[in-house]
Amino acid sequence: MGDNIKIIENATCTFCGCVCDDMHLTVDLDEKKITKAKNACVLGRAWFAQHGIPDYPQATIGGKEASVEDAVEEAAQILAEAKFPIIYGLSDTTCEAQRHAVAIADLIHGCIDTTTSVCHGPSGIAFQGVGESTATLGEVKNRADFIMYWGGNPAESHPRHFTRYAVTTKGLYTPNGKKDRTVVLVDVRKTPSAPVADIFLSVKPGRDFELAWALRALVKGRKLDPSIEQVTGVSLATLEDLVDRMKNCRYGVLFFGMGLTMTRGRHFNSGAVLALTTDLNEFTHFVAKPVRGHGNVTGADNVLSWQTGYPFGVNFSRGFPRFNPGEFTTVDTLARGDADAALIIASDPASNFPRKAIEHLGAIPVIALDTKQTQTTNLARVAFITATYGINTAGTVYRMDDVPITLRKAFDSPYPTDEEILTAIRRRVQALCGGPAVPLRKVS
Amino acid sequence: MSVTLTLHTQPEVPLEAECLSPDRLATLDQAGIAALPVLHGNRNMTVGDFFSVDGGKDLTVRIIGDLGRVKHVATGMSGGHLIIDGNIGSHLGLGMSGGEITVTGHAGDWVGPEMGGGRIVVRGDAGHMVGSAYRGSKVGMRGGEIIVHGRIGNEAGNGMRRGMIAVAADSGDFTGVNMIAGSIFVLGRLGARSGAGMKRGTIVSLHDAEVLPTYSYAACYHPVFLRHYLLRLRQLGLPVEEAHLGGRYRRWSGDSVELNRGEILLFAG
Repeated sequence: MGDNIKIIENATCTFCGCVCDDMHLTVDLDEKKITKAKNACVLGRAWFAQHGIPDYPQATIGGKEASVEDAVEEAAQILAEAKFPIIYGLSDTTCEAQRHAVAIADLIHGCIDTTTSVCHGPSGIAFQGVGESTATLGEVKNRADFIMYWGGNPAESHPRHFTRYAVTTKGLYTPNGKKDRTVVLVDVRKTPSAPVADIFLSVKPGRDFELAWALRALVKGRKLDPSIEQVTGVSLATLEDLVDRMKNCRYGVLFFGMGLTMTRGRHFNSGAVLALTTDLNEFTHFVAKPVRGHGNVTGADNVLSWQTGYPFGVNFSRGFPRFNPGEFTTVDTLARGDADAALIIASDPASNFPRKAIEHLGAIPVIALDTKQTQTTNLARVAFITATYGINTAGTVYRMDDVPITLRKAFDSPYPTDEEILTAIRRRVQALCGGPAVPLRKVS
Repeated sequence: MSVTLTLHTQPEVPLEAECLSPDRLATLDQAGIAALPVLHGNRNMTVGDFFSVDGGKDLTVRIIGDLGRVKHVATGMSGGHLIIDGNIGSHLGLGMSGGEITVTGHAGDWVGPEMGGGRIVVRGDAGHMVGSAYRGSKVGMRGGEIIVHGRIGNEAGNGMRRGMIAVAADSGDFTGVNMIAGSIFVLGRLGARSGAGMKRGTIVSLHDAEVLPTYSYAACYHPVFLRHYLLRLRQLGLPVEEAHLGGRYRRWSGDSVELNRGEILLFAG
């Protein structure tokens, strides 16, 4: 370690949706790396340790090194000429950058979609159809005495969720932490999260909807046949006991994960647990929150919602926003072969989308922004390497409970930020498309 | 003189052509039809850029070609007869109130969303969301008939209030979800979780099916009204056999988490 050491207190980790803002970072400014991340979980430590300064060209066109200015020009030309351009990603960048992506989608009359469409998109549909009874994680910490996790494994995916927000943490009305709470876990198998649960319900795979529907019926006082155990794997007596606890708690929280949203039933699964929460509010205070994955995926939902009215899968072909998951979501526009150009920001769909979608992505001009070389930047016509948010750039991200949190920069990067690249593309696209001269915020 | 449109240029990206509706074309001559606006991705184009037009000023319109990428055809249609000789893209007959659409091939998602009247006949398969409500809307199909001779996808009749959907083959999951009223006939097998959140209405299948735990078994009987419906479906060309007309059906009532006044009738022989 060199002598040029900087300590950053109360920095924010942007690895997962917990967005813990109590990091104490030790930064070696000579080596340009974070050597210690106090308070970080195992995932956060890896996040901070692995982000140094890579040795990639700032921009490439057709795989060859190019100036950022030329790459911006090429990207703007591609987007302005496209008839059905799509913008995708956005969950690992700042809200300030996301704003410009929405503006570009508006200018080029294209589609804009985020990684929400392949994780909690179904919850977004369910929020619109059913409604959301919500709370901040601060409220959960201070008030909740009944915590239920459904279709998620926070011990491995969000390691500090238990200790910082929901289970063992001590709050105003939960001074004894875990002792003041009943914790329930619903999953298809015993995961490393199971030991923390007072009650573990092992639901048969693909039967979450039936289980939630059965709980709704019991909450409403309807009779159920004992054969529910053959359907869901959970006995009627267990369900009745659970409903009794739910109705009699002081403040209940239902956290749900992708075990619900990405299994058969999708938005109806999310809708079922949201409706269950609504039903429980006849008896007590109950809220439901999705447990979000990427660091600023919640910010992407918020930015799209406040700018277009919809959280993901938005189309501007007609000059105004339209929302239709399945029609305007990225997997679908690619797999059907609809898109004729793509701007991918802070995401790597070429490594995790269905084969048909990846094949089409390889057949159209792609512009990619990422902090490292990925399969998507490798197939991109224009690729930018950008600075990492929360480490090399400041800005705003949203925690999974829709609370905005400000980032602190740890050390400078030679690479431009997503916001700078997107601002430049936006300016050039605006000139090419003849769009309205919207004043742009000055980028520092 | 009837109107014939033949696709001469396949759209590169989705083409939105809500103007292709008989009641709209009936007042226009050949040149007028060719000049109607369509949206090719984000570009304003005309019907003539993609279709050759023959005839004009008639309520019978035939469109020939693979229109799998053409969306929003016959939006708000109020009368006339539209024949699509080939496949058709999504949002066919959006909010239509009258007239008849016949598709000889397959149809995409959202056939007859929020339609209020008229009839849509699809000779092939149809996609998801047949006769459904749009996202954020509580009420789907409000009247009319949708007849599909093949299979249909998920969420058929989502939020349906009135009217009839009849399918010769199988349906996808959540058939009749959140139904307010109306009738759905699936001559093949019902998908999982049919009738979830149903308030009133009738879902019929000519096969046994698993019903949600929030449905309760009522009786096994011969519903008199069903014979009339099934005879009508047979007239429309659906494969209804004699045994189905006079057979007995298991009646499940639900959904108990809602009004509990809906019914699922499953053929019992």
